[in-house]
Amino acid sequence: MNQEFLEVRGLKKYFEAGRPGLFSKDARKVHAVDGVDLTLRRSEVIALVGESGCGKSTLALLLMGLEDPTEGAVKFEGMDITHLNDSQRKKKELRRKIQMVFQDPYESLNPTQTIEEIITEPLLVHGMANTPDRDERVKKALEDAGLKPAEVYLDRYPHELSGGQRQRVVVAAALVLEPEIILADEPVSMLDVSIRAEIINLLAELRITRQIAVIFITHDLGSVGFFADRVAVMYLGRIVEVGTMLEVLENPKHPYTKALISVIPVPNPRLRHERIILQGETPNPINIPSGCRFHPRCPVAIATCKASDPPMVVVNKSHQAACLLLVK
Amino acid sequence: MSRSQYILKKFGWALLTIALVLILNFFLFRVLPGDPARAGVHDPRLKKESIEAIRVRYGLDKPVINCFETLNPVKVGSCSVNPLDTQFFIYMKNLLSGELGISYHNNRPVATILAERLWNTILLIGAGQILSIIVGAFFGMLAAWKARTSIDYGALATSLVVWSLPTFWLGIILLFWGSANGLPIGGKATPGLSSYPLWEQWKDIGRHMILPTLTYTLVYMGEYMLIMRSSLLDVLSEDYILTAKAKGLGIFQILRDHALKNAMLPLVTIIAINLGFTVAGAVQIETVFSWPGLGGAVFEAVNRRDFPVLQGAFLLITVTVILANLIADLMYSYLDPRIQAE
Amino acid sequence: MEILTQKNAAPPSSNYLLEFWRKFQRNRMGLVGLGMLTAIILVAVFAPLIAPHVPGSSLTIGVSDIYKPPSAEHLFGTDDAGADVFSNFIHGARVSLTVGFFAAFISIFIGGLLGIVAGFFGGRVENFIMRFTDVMLVIPELPLMVVIIALTKPSLLNIIFVIGLLGWTTTARMVRSQTLAVKSRKFVLRARAIGSGKAHIIRRHILPLVMPILVVQAVLVVSLAVLNESTLSFLGLGDPTTLSWGQMLNYAFGRGAMSTGAWWALVFPGFGIVWVVLGLTLLGQGLEQVFNPRLDTHHLMPGRPVVTSEAGVKPVKPGTLLDVQNLSINYVTEGKPPARAVENISFTLKEGELLGLVGESGCGKTTLMLALLRLLPSAGQIVGGKVFFSGRDLTALGEEEMNEVRWSGISIVFQGAMNALNPVRTVGDQIAEAIIQHVPTFPRDKISARVTELLDLVGIAADHKDHFPHQYSGGMRQRAMIAMALACNPQVIIADEPTTALDVMIQAQILELLDELRRKLGLAVVFVTHDLGIVAEMCDHVLVMYGGVTAEYADVDIIYNEPRHPYTQELLKAFPDLTKPKKKLSSIPGYPPRLDALPAGCRFAPRCPAAFERCHIEEPALHRIGANGHLASCHLIAEKR
Repeated sequence: MNQEFLEVRGLKKYFEAGRPGLFSKDARKVHAVDGVDLTLRRSEVIALVGESGCGKSTLALLLMGLEDPTEGAVKFEGMDITHLNDSQRKKKELRRKIQMVFQDPYESLNPTQTIEEIITEPLLVHGMANTPDRDERVKKALEDAGLKPAEVYLDRYPHELSGGQRQRVVVAAALVLEPEIILADEPVSMLDVSIRAEIINLLAELRITRQIAVIFITHDLGSVGFFADRVAVMYLGRIVEVGTMLEVLENPKHPYTKALISVIPVPNPRLRHERIILQGETPNPINIPSGCRFHPRCPVAIATCKASDPPMVVVNKSHQAACLLLVK
Repeated sequence: MSRSQYILKKFGWALLTIALVLILNFFLFRVLPGDPARAGVHDPRLKKESIEAIRVRYGLDKPVINCFETLNPVKVGSCSVNPLDTQFFIYMKNLLSGELGISYHNNRPVATILAERLWNTILLIGAGQILSIIVGAFFGMLAAWKARTSIDYGALATSLVVWSLPTFWLGIILLFWGSANGLPIGGKATPGLSSYPLWEQWKDIGRHMILPTLTYTLVYMGEYMLIMRSSLLDVLSEDYILTAKAKGLGIFQILRDHALKNAMLPLVTIIAINLGFTVAGAVQIETVFSWPGLGGAVFEAVNRRDFPVLQGAFLLITVTVILANLIADLMYSYLDPRIQAE
Repeated sequence: MEILTQKNAAPPSSNYLLEFWRKFQRNRMGLVGLGMLTAIILVAVFAPLIAPHVPGSSLTIGVSDIYKPPSAEHLFGTDDAGADVFSNFIHGARVSLTVGFFAAFISIFIGGLLGIVAGFFGGRVENFIMRFTDVMLVIPELPLMVVIIALTKPSLLNIIFVIGLLGWTTTARMVRSQTLAVKSRKFVLRARAIGSGKAHIIRRHILPLVMPILVVQAVLVVSLAVLNESTLSFLGLGDPTTLSWGQMLNYAFGRGAMSTGAWWALVFPGFGIVWVVLGLTLLGQGLEQVFNPRLDTHHLMPGRPVVTSEAGVKPVKPGTLLDVQNLSINYVTEGKPPARAVENISFTLKEGELLGLVGESGCGKTTLMLALLRLLPSAGQIVGGKVFFSGRDLTALGEEEMNEVRWSGISIVFQGAMNALNPVRTVGDQIAEAIIQHVPTFPRDKISARVTELLDLVGIAADHKDHFPHQYSGGMRQRAMIAMALACNPQVIIADEPTTALDVMIQAQILELLDELRRKLGLAVVFVTHDLGIVAEMCDHVLVMYGGVTAEYADVDIIYNEPRHPYTQELLKAFPDLTKPKKKLSSIPGYPPRLDALPAGCRFAPRCPAAFERCHIEEPALHRIGANGHLASCHLIAEKR
């Protein structure tokens, strides 16, 4: 069960920041993803946490093959899929096995298609639409995504549904292909707090009933709750801490993780606590700070942090963090 | 990109476009069937030798460009001719020295004919544009501010109707009306006024301008009104207008300090894009009112098959529009600070 | 506008086209245009049946037949050749419409194709196409047409092609920008992610969304082609063998209709052109309105008069800064019953107090806050209650007096700071504006120093003063908004979801800043949010709103530890609490009610896990619980007593 089936090694993606032209002198690079290692096991849920601009969305696009990596490797079930193009990915069933759910359910559904067309389209694309059980599949996907009874929704248009329902439609469109991995990029941040749990519980249920692995990308560690098995904290294009959810929440090692956890609101005024509020904002990924990339905002930085880039330090078997203070 | 880079880029782009237009202009008149030599010389008195002499005089005996003797019909020629001794380079050289050829009609240099006409056209379009922008923008603003009232509906209906009027037809209608009301109905000035004081002459030109300018203004104000209305409506429903209101600013203060500049941006873009189309109006108005401008020159040249004048007028009109477009672009960069962020 | 986001229970529509037709039918402009166009097309099709004479032929060639005024025999008179203008007019419709539609077809085809290719494929292809389009756009169209037709043969076919081949530029530009806009939407990326090929994406996702623009543009291009044809013909470049309206005008204008006063030969053909072009323009405008419905309102429209009564008004307790009593707000739409957006809301705010206003989107929070400053959109109307600020009744003030209270007494920080700041003015300038407005005596030379001081207070370096909003990051913009809100030393700041859409860390920074400013400057703050966690961190009192009414109002500790309203309890359960690892999150099923279709009884009853019969019949009153001002509106409280 716990075989490693998605493996990422030293993945990098640099974007050109403005083309070198007649008037601009040099081509500067945006270091969106700058050397990421990550493994995902079957039916595992990983929370990928970081502020905007940390490269977490780019990482998702790289894993989906919607952007081409600059360096590094991605392996899926032992097969190197790093530089496959759209049609190769489709042929190797990657476009069926790995699905994505986007942040904004208003934007990720075509307003001119009915719900039925939206759910049938993936089957059509994969040549699975002419089987007799097509209608069954569509209905099952909708009902598995919590839209019951499916008949009520088939003829509707996205604008007739609420935000939560729309996000369920997106999930259903992924489920209809019976995927093995779902990449969810901020799937709840556009929704009201009162219905966020709906989507999170849905994903949690799917990993149990269908053994789907989930990469849950978010800027708000609090919104994941305890739904994730492991958490990976990303800062400026790199993973700075990774470990099991409980372990990281209770015993964070990286100062950035500590700060992130401290600012998670606690819904109880009796538990008001000191928060570690980092000053300033994530630096521009064009100019990565020297040494440890977190040192300019780090509350506990020491002199050497400016000079040397910390390696990933093993805290224990299931917990690693990249901080010089841990190097002993 | 900084503003100076933006400006440089726009300048470069305008120059490139002008170069392209020069080339287009040359080939258009050689590829299409109206061979300048054939078309211009149809005097039955001329003998074959005289025609040949005229062709030599206009440089039409030279190959069009390297490798091609003529382009209509296509006749391949030697590629090793001195490129400076082809029609193309003679044309370019003449253009650079401000020479546009000689009119078939009256044998005067085209440049001289068109120079005075250019100013007349700029005078007409300039006056018409300024008036139509002012009137259109004003009523557009009024309509947006008073949205969904009878003022708005009236302005909207008026702008749609005037937008639908063919320029030349409106000109004709106004001509009827003008002649009934004693306004001068043709030309730029009453003949024989040259001995009068300058002031009287100007007044006379002004009177002659009334009908053409009125036609121009009516036709183009409709579109400006529509643009201004919709762009101000957009701006007025922006959050920063609510911020301004929450700050306790009065309605006129908000309109002046927060809405006008923002709403002007789409208008400036449209004015720039429209410049090419406004020339169409000038051609029609100048034809109807016999206004001695470039558009009128185009009309006359077409009827007389006077291709050098047609070619020259087209070139002059196009280059003027490109330059006017450049000015609009530069204006825009001063209005919108975000331009540097592009 | 919260009220507009409420569209959940719309009836299912059977078909996209049917839906479109239903909307179009309600558009008067579009219908008139369609009618005008249909009429003239019918005339053109049945021209031989309608026209009394063969077009172009003069009956008898005699001087007396030339330019005869309109009569019973010749409805529109005769022309310079003694022909019947009416018959020519009827047949002219054929020529004009033929040229218009065929030329427009060519233009739309080329423009649409180039636009979609440029927009979809991008890169060099796009660059080349758009540069070419730019050049074509800047070359004046009509003179170029004139030149080409003058050099070739003026036949109908040539005219169609010249107009068609030169008329695609605007279409290409518009289609390209629409394609770009559609392409950047996430459903196109999602289509790629499920393995759809390029052709599939263009056909299924790009085309359906570009089509509306293309249709509107096509209507416009037809009208331009009709105008161009008539202009060319008028200039003498028309096909001499066919008689279009422009051609008729050319002959009449050239052959003395002016001097003989034969207005009919000039007026009627032009009238035909106007009819067609106006019909098309109206149709285009109508279609545009149906495809892109816009808000009917803007922020400067006059508001509706306040309706309040003095009955039941309680005296304001000393020390209370803001006292809202039974405030009710309706949204009024013509022909519909008013939507009760806010009903009977009361709360007070003391100096230095921080009140949290919590509820899901669409529950009337923003409406309530805008009403305090009398900034409601034009459909909103205060229909009851009072707002006392420092002893003044804000509901009774005129617009002038209200302007004095705004910003200097109560200022407001809006949700999206990007849109709340004017993009074409520097941030410093916008802050200075508020100071000049409310403290006209403020020495001009000190304003710059004051702006710097304010920016410093919120942690923005002075050199950012002269920057424009787009040069700020999201967090900085929200700080700048706060600096602006502080500019006139207000006693109350309303913060309307100031941190939604911001990252958690930036969110924490902004909250910390607000809390610090409140302590330092003694500000009272109303903090509006849908996030209960934020409220717990910093508020003194919490007002939970549901569907426009008070659900619960109490001290922050009571709200979290002894909530009495099921809505509050459910909201708390939905909130992830990392201090309780074993707790399963639950969501509240269903959606907040539509304000124009409120349920009978308690507004929360349809979603309430504890609802019983009485809840669906009777609206619960606001019950007082205990001695410390805890209020909740639920029947359960009365039942338990």
